[in-house]
Amino acid sequence: MSFVTVTTPALAAAPRPSAARRQGEEDVAVASRSRVGTVVGRLVLVLLAVFSVFPVYWMFATALRAPENALDQTLLPWPLSLENFAYVWDTIPIGSMLVNTFVMALTLATAQLLIAVLAAYGFAVWNFVGRKLLMFLFIGSWLVPFQVTMIPNYVLVSQMGLLGTIGGVVVPQLAGAFAVLLMVQHMRAFPRELIEAAHLDGRSSWATLWSVVVPNMRPALAALGIMAFISAWNEYLWPTLIMRQSDALLQVGVRSFLSAEGNNWGATMAAAGLACVPVLLIYIFLQRYVVDAFVRSGLK
Amino acid sequence: MFVTVTAPSPARPVGEGAGAPTAPARRRRLRPQSLQPYLYVLPGVLFLILWTYSPLAQTFGLSFYDWNLLPTSPKTFVGTDNYAEVLALPELHTALLNTVVYIAAFFMFSLVLPIAIAMMSRQVTGRARTFYQALIFVPFLITPVATSAVWRWLLAEQGAFATVLAHFGVDMPNVFRDPNLAIWSIIVIVGWQMLGFGVLVVAAGFAGIAPEYAQAASLDGAGSGRIFRRITLPLLSPTLVFLSLMTILLAAQWTYPIIDLLTQGGPTNSTTNIYYLLYQFGFQNFDVGISSAAGVLFFVGFGVIAFIFLELQERLSFYDN
Repeated sequence: MSFVTVTTPALAAAPRPSAARRQGEEDVAVASRSRVGTVVGRLVLVLLAVFSVFPVYWMFATALRAPENALDQTLLPWPLSLENFAYVWDTIPIGSMLVNTFVMALTLATAQLLIAVLAAYGFAVWNFVGRKLLMFLFIGSWLVPFQVTMIPNYVLVSQMGLLGTIGGVVVPQLAGAFAVLLMVQHMRAFPRELIEAAHLDGRSSWATLWSVVVPNMRPALAALGIMAFISAWNEYLWPTLIMRQSDALLQVGVRSFLSAEGNNWGATMAAAGLACVPVLLIYIFLQRYVVDAFVRSGLK
Repeated sequence: MFVTVTAPSPARPVGEGAGAPTAPARRRRLRPQSLQPYLYVLPGVLFLILWTYSPLAQTFGLSFYDWNLLPTSPKTFVGTDNYAEVLALPELHTALLNTVVYIAAFFMFSLVLPIAIAMMSRQVTGRARTFYQALIFVPFLITPVATSAVWRWLLAEQGAFATVLAHFGVDMPNVFRDPNLAIWSIIVIVGWQMLGFGVLVVAAGFAGIAPEYAQAASLDGAGSGRIFRRITLPLLSPTLVFLSLMTILLAAQWTYPIIDLLTQGGPTNSTTNIYYLLYQFGFQNFDVGISSAAGVLFFVGFGVIAFIFLELQERLSFYDN
């Protein structure tokens, strides 16, 4: 289960226009800004930032030390060395694991987006018999912990002959109830006039969806896609159940590498670091969207 | 599957509707296509039934059987024996107690600390704020395998914490092997992942509160403590209820990978929780009936809690519309 699968659609009302801008106004207005307050606030943030980032920094710092300096505790790794990464590269097929995991996460993100767009379009544009009940199916599903359904899911995957394959990891998560609920909210905000105008122009609902709705919802789709990708990338329980003895996926392969290498800290940190690099790269380039996607979806 | 959704006639006559998109026109236009919404919703619903609801029903069914997960071995009906057995298991009591400890501790990291931090840092604005927020969100994105690895290294006997403690003449205990310390190490590690997320969610909640309320109250002579209690907290309540619900529902799941990677529930069950127990019953002891019975009990228990929270949500929330 990913972090994001739980959201409360019931919370939809909280208004949240561009947090950053509002924040500025608010601070000026509410508190007569004191110098002491600013200093304390900054100190708190600095401490929190150090607490947050230090372990990640330490992971890469240890990975970049020469193997003979693996136990050094100096803040700066010196001399820098890529030997740990080379060792990991030679010991496990981490290159193909990265590619496989990337494909897996991309497949899941795409499928979840597609299914969510279709379902949300159905829910948002029409009022039909059973609409409430079907919506409730989606809302209720995030109250079903994955661990409660995992045995039947495991049996089904094995009956489909997908045990030990990436396909087996992907199939149960192709439709994300969370993605659907989030999409419904975005879709509801979409101006109905545009849909109706397209219809009056003689377009079918299918054509309207792809030529009018989807192009206009690119930001929401991008945010949802990024979030789905990151969640799929970091998925742990299900891949480790399905791919027990396999080096095909990152989480599973790195896990067995960690237990095999025990106290070879340099190599361990290099493998662990590699498992985070793609997500960290996405974060570095799309930082605002990533934070917005996760935080706002949590609230909305 | 998606092919079925394609609309039958791409070029429909324009003059069909009454022109303006008035309510009667809309109704008229929707009637001949009344199957359409179902087709759009169908893929999602099918997957949901296949992978969530039907398995849920199967878990319920399996909870009355004795089975070892092997396709070839028979399932024997045992009635409610599994439930009786589960309820009597000492592991279950430990796991339940630990789950409560985990959840209570995570309230610190997802709610109490974030509120305090967000309050104290409100006066930092602009680029500095964005910069710090970017940094504190990083742990949330770190994959569990890496999280476990780096914390095991930080807390190792030759690791960074031990080096610092040695300066003060303190010996680093082996935290993952000590039944009294292990659970706290898991709490700190998962707390590390949750804290930044909590801070950003609370900060977003603050940002959504219109400043005029506090301004007005301030003009009326209310102090900052009073403003916080009477205005900020109530307006923040949807955020807080959401974070609480998320903590309760997800705490056990967020801990699962860390427990699996670092302690396997040990030493002597001191770090196990109910979800880890479900995994152990099912995939280590291959006792499907016990795992399912426990799963059903937890599902019902958490369902009740979630329901209470959703009710609370309705009653407590003041929306700033």
